Amino acid sequence: MEELFGVSMTTLMWVLLAVTGTALGVVAVLAWRNPVMVKLGLRNIPRRPGQTALIIVGIMLSSIIMATAFGIGDTINHSIRTEAVESLGPIDEIVLSNRATSDDGFGFNPYFSMARFDELQAELAGFDAVDGLAPGIGQNLPAVNPRTDRSEGDLRVVGVHPATVDSVGSLSLTSGEVARLEVLGAGEAYLNAPAADELEAETGDRLQLFRSEEPITLTVAGILERGGLAGRDPTLVLPLETAQDLFQRPGQINSIVVSNRGGIVSGVERSEEVTERLRVYFADRDVASQLQALLSQGEALQALVASEATLEESALQEWQELRTELGRDGTSDRLVSLLADSSVSDSVLEALGEEGLLETQREADTLFAGLAEFTVLDFKREILEAAELVSSFVTTFFITLGLFSIMVGVLLIFLIFVMLAAARRSEMGMARAVGAKRRHLVQMFLFEGTTYSVIAAAVGVAIGLAVSTLIITLVNQAIGIVETDFSFTRHFEPRSIVVAYCLGIAITFATVAVSAYRVSRLNIVAAIRDTPTPISITTRTWRDILIAPLRAMGRPFILGGRALRALSRARLPQAAGHLLQMLWAIVSIPAVFYSSIAQALWRPFTSGWLAFLLGAVVAWQGIEVNQAAPFTIGVSLAIVGVGLMIRTLLKRRDVRAEVRDRIAYTFMGVVLLLFWLLPFDTLENLTGELDSNFEMFFVSGIAVVAAAVWTVMYNSDLILRALTFAAGRFGRIRPVLVTAVAYPMSSKFRTGLTLAMFALVIFTLIVMSILTAVFDVSNTDQEEVTGNWNIQGDVNFATPITDIRQAIAGSPDLRSEDFAAIGGYTTVPIQVRQADAEDQLWEDYVIRAADGEFLAESGYQLKLIADGYGPTAEDVWRAMQQDPSLVVVDALIVPREAGGFEGGQISFRLEGLFYEDESMSPIPIEIREPRTDVTASLTVIGVLDQLTDSFGELGVGMLVPKARIDDAVPFPIPLTTYRFRMADGVDQSAAADGLETTFQQNGMEAVVLAEQIEQNAAANRAFNRIFTGYMALGLMVGVAALGVISLRAVVERRQQIGVLRAIGYRRVMIQLSFLLESSFVALLGIAIGVGLGTAISYNIVADVQETAPTLRFSVPWVQIGAIIAIAYLFSLLTTFLPARQASRIYPAEALRYE
Amino acid sequence: MIKLSTNDLIISATGIQKTYSTGVVEVRALQGVDLHVGRGEIVAIMGPSGCGKTTLLNCLSGLDEIDRGQVLIDGTVLHDLPDNDRSDYRARRMGFVFQLYNLLPVLRAVENVEMPLLVSGVSPAEARRRALDMLDQVGLADRASHLPGELSGGQRQRVTIARALVNNPAIIWGDEPTGDLDSETADEIMELMLQLNKSNNQTFVLVTHSREVGERAHRIVRMRDGRIENGGQPADAAPL
Repeated sequence: MEELFGVSMTTLMWVLLAVTGTALGVVAVLAWRNPVMVKLGLRNIPRRPGQTALIIVGIMLSSIIMATAFGIGDTINHSIRTEAVESLGPIDEIVLSNRATSDDGFGFNPYFSMARFDELQAELAGFDAVDGLAPGIGQNLPAVNPRTDRSEGDLRVVGVHPATVDSVGSLSLTSGEVARLEVLGAGEAYLNAPAADELEAETGDRLQLFRSEEPITLTVAGILERGGLAGRDPTLVLPLETAQDLFQRPGQINSIVVSNRGGIVSGVERSEEVTERLRVYFADRDVASQLQALLSQGEALQALVASEATLEESALQEWQELRTELGRDGTSDRLVSLLADSSVSDSVLEALGEEGLLETQREADTLFAGLAEFTVLDFKREILEAAELVSSFVTTFFITLGLFSIMVGVLLIFLIFVMLAAARRSEMGMARAVGAKRRHLVQMFLFEGTTYSVIAAAVGVAIGLAVSTLIITLVNQAIGIVETDFSFTRHFEPRSIVVAYCLGIAITFATVAVSAYRVSRLNIVAAIRDTPTPISITTRTWRDILIAPLRAMGRPFILGGRALRALSRARLPQAAGHLLQMLWAIVSIPAVFYSSIAQALWRPFTSGWLAFLLGAVVAWQGIEVNQAAPFTIGVSLAIVGVGLMIRTLLKRRDVRAEVRDRIAYTFMGVVLLLFWLLPFDTLENLTGELDSNFEMFFVSGIAVVAAAVWTVMYNSDLILRALTFAAGRFGRIRPVLVTAVAYPMSSKFRTGLTLAMFALVIFTLIVMSILTAVFDVSNTDQEEVTGNWNIQGDVNFATPITDIRQAIAGSPDLRSEDFAAIGGYTTVPIQVRQADAEDQLWEDYVIRAADGEFLAESGYQLKLIADGYGPTAEDVWRAMQQDPSLVVVDALIVPREAGGFEGGQISFRLEGLFYEDESMSPIPIEIREPRTDVTASLTVIGVLDQLTDSFGELGVGMLVPKARIDDAVPFPIPLTTYRFRMADGVDQSAAADGLETTFQQNGMEAVVLAEQIEQNAAANRAFNRIFTGYMALGLMVGVAALGVISLRAVVERRQQIGVLRAIGYRRVMIQLSFLLESSFVALLGIAIGVGLGTAISYNIVADVQETAPTLRFSVPWVQIGAIIAIAYLFSLLTTFLPARQASRIYPAEALRYE
Repeated sequence: MIKLSTNDLIISATGIQKTYSTGVVEVRALQGVDLHVGRGEIVAIMGPSGCGKTTLLNCLSGLDEIDRGQVLIDGTVLHDLPDNDRSDYRARRMGFVFQLYNLLPVLRAVENVEMPLLVSGVSPAEARRRALDMLDQVGLADRASHLPGELSGGQRQRVTIARALVNNPAIIWGDEPTGDLDSETADEIMELMLQLNKSNNQTFVLVTHSREVGERAHRIVRMRDGRIENGGQPADAAPL
């Protein structure tokens, strides 16, 4: 993986190494200068090994998450790269024709004369970057191995010129020998290993290939290793001439493969150079100069300049080159190459999309289409770039998912050090009393914290790599549900390990530094006596606050003056010291400046009115920019402001601090909860519909959990009373329960933090579990998903079925009466544009050219029906049968008002309607067959429900009557996909098997749709469980927090344990008290997490139901029960040891402890 | 000085030995102590630091194990009881007052006082009523809902005494009950204990360094190096 969040990993590694090295270096220097503080800091580590272990567990979590994310990213990158390199071998580019003739059909690349290859070979004769060219044929056919009765519906048949094989890599037999095409006899061919597996074929087997009704028989001369010319998928390799005979294309080829100079991987570095040369060669220079003239016009050029701002950095350089080349006299090679680059032409057309330039855009579009006869695909480079992109995305995704856990981990580190400080308060007070400075205390904690972080980050990285291995194994299992011939291979880059380790240390170090600074600010007397710190009533005056920045700015001059004076007296060490201080003073000016501003604003903020004002402004801004996140954050801030104002008001009326805090914070908590738990559209009348994305999940999670914890903590006595009342009848348990609740509630900060950690993690897990269950398509009505079809059978393009009903009637394996309906369609790649839209560019998409029975029998639900064609779906299907120019589009190309559920990479979108609309008008569109440029006009009269075909997993494309396409294109379009509705009571699996057997020669592969849906859903569920499991890492933090707190509690309350034992507490009561205490926090956290997670999920589902009414809110109780049980069990386990330790303390011993 | 017959003895300890081991050295904290305390007696155990006063109190009250000897509390051999029974015995029959009060800081005064009653299985309502009564007796009725942190040292010690007496125990053990108080407050606390002793006929065994406390006790038991020098019998009276 090369980049993370857009930053180069190498840069990141060096920066982090420098930061970590500097931090550790500073700590080392400090340690060398203050060995006493090192001793004081480090002696705590071996004092309580159990506690040290728990602290390390808590601290290492962020390293685990980072290392896991990097491990997964590296593995994905490595696996995709390896797959690409192994599959392609030395092949770097492939050249395909853009021009189809009437002899060319669908399902294979258009053919062209072998003479074009010879010309190209001559052209590239002296071109150093290419070391091999090979002409070839590639087309898919169904094949059967009669010996084993195994078939392969889509066997890739590759014909290669024997003389050119060596120039693009050799063919190797699985035995290790080199395979030679020239030694093959007539009717002989090589089979690659995947094909041999599929057909269970051996050398000498006679395979039957079906191109027409009569099979062609070929003998397997040997089994090839996969990769390179031998291909990745099941492939049969034979001499070019034999292939030309087989496909009846004498003297023709349909591809040229190119190998760049250099190795299998290093050859890619020359891909840009080779691609450019080929594109220039294949481009029509006249068309290029016409484009140059068109794009150099004033308005067009202005539009190109204006669109620069919207380009990504990677595209910017090419764009600027294009502008330069457009301005030159004559048409340069570079310009031709740029214009022939599809990414550049797409950007140009996009830039010309503004009003007033539509005519220019159309003209450019036509010219671009005619620019090149051949397409040059540099797919090895693209795959390697895609590997990088995917791995970066996945790593970023996992780190983002882990942010909750990392945040919770940071809270834990903070909590740990605050607790350690509390435990050592007295000794720190003593140290201060005997002359230790505040910085010495900070150093003491830094030494200890750095030691923990250095160890914890190392352990964390090791565990993280193990976790990533586990996740990769689980992902491979999940992939195995639907795909069997690809799996990820574990791989870790040393660079990623260094980054994860340094990040782990950096996060811990920063948190330790902040908490150390916080704990160093203690009151010496209160610390020694271990009494509460008196509240300081001295506050900085406005004058102090305002003067501070001025003093900060003046300080470098004073120190500089001192340095000069020391220099003039030849006191070099002193001068160097002053200079260093001066540098530090300069660096810290911004910090002092902003801190003064913050302090100046803090008072009006805490009194409430500034918080309210700020919140109102942010909320208003959110409405202005139509974004939910700023609006909701602003409203929340305003609510907090009102709460603070109430507090200020009550303070002025001399209401007791306890009462006013309770009123104010309960108000904030309850109102915030009400606000965040409102259904999403409640305030739409006021705000209009606001845009929101995934970040709202994080924002809402943090907001509701914080509000709930706030409310609970400030009303803890009510919980205590309720529990005390409830426990009244339990006799001896009652006092145990009282202390178990009273202790956590008396440490509001500590308990609140732990509660928040626990609740946040549980909240996330609950939301994920519920949404996974709700969006599980297998839980919805299958008839709606499949259009009431039961089986899908796909046949090879080359071997269509002439009359399927007749064939079924004649089959010994099938009975006609078992088939209630049979429909068929062909998926055809086309280009499409909307005729009356602003954006009239041709975009790639697919149609499903469907026969009459498919349209007549389809049970698909329609979300929208155009005026005049309804009111029912049946009316629409009927209309399409009568008028073949009518079309129904799938939900993937219809935009959503609030985003989400759109068709991912599909660039075509209909304009003028939203999926959420109640009605639509007919929409005129045009489609174009890209190889023949044949166009057809159609009218969209309906939009399919988004659940159709399992959100497109079973098939995508606009449904068009096949008759319309047959009329438009000059070659026949065979049906390649059949859908079967079976009569009641028919065994669908047996019927699918029967279909495959009957239509073996057509290469039919049949699946039972319900099984396919369940299989896909199972894979999705498996992935979701992996993500849930990964996020559950955060649970470890919550559990570790409870463990740390319990351990500390045993130490802190040793004397009190003695007292309780003295007044009659039995051992088991002490143990129970600790267990109940952590149970109380864990269960409260679980309750808050489950309650809020369910409520937010309900709102999300209710919101989605507006566009997907068939989705039903359901709670996966079993999974949630498991999450609760695991969370609670582990929290009990972590507390069990400290609790047992507490119960074993002898009362007299405990009372002696100070 | 109260004269007692053997039947009136509530504490009867003979030959008590206790040795602590730190792993490196062994400390013989009690070396064959005999101590007898009569019902309703106030006994002050005095002696220099490290002489074994607190250890003796802990061993007599069952807070600590003994190595050898026997302790009879009101006829019960305390150290033969299983830990649970000993805990129950303490809850019902004993009260404790410590130098550092040792109140539970997270519970209010009344909740601290009612704790031994709840442990003994008294109903919550009854426990609350009796705790409030007890606080009233020690003069802290108006501080019942305060947390220990909100009370003065003397008030905290009164709460401790209330907690020690609330279950009407036969014996109250005090480890430096006035050690952390100023002399005026210490005097008040001692006066309170004398009053309660008089009105309830409860036995007080107090470990103390304070001459004033010793002077107001019925008897002083003087210890040195893990042994009782004098005052071990009800009839004995150690000089101050």
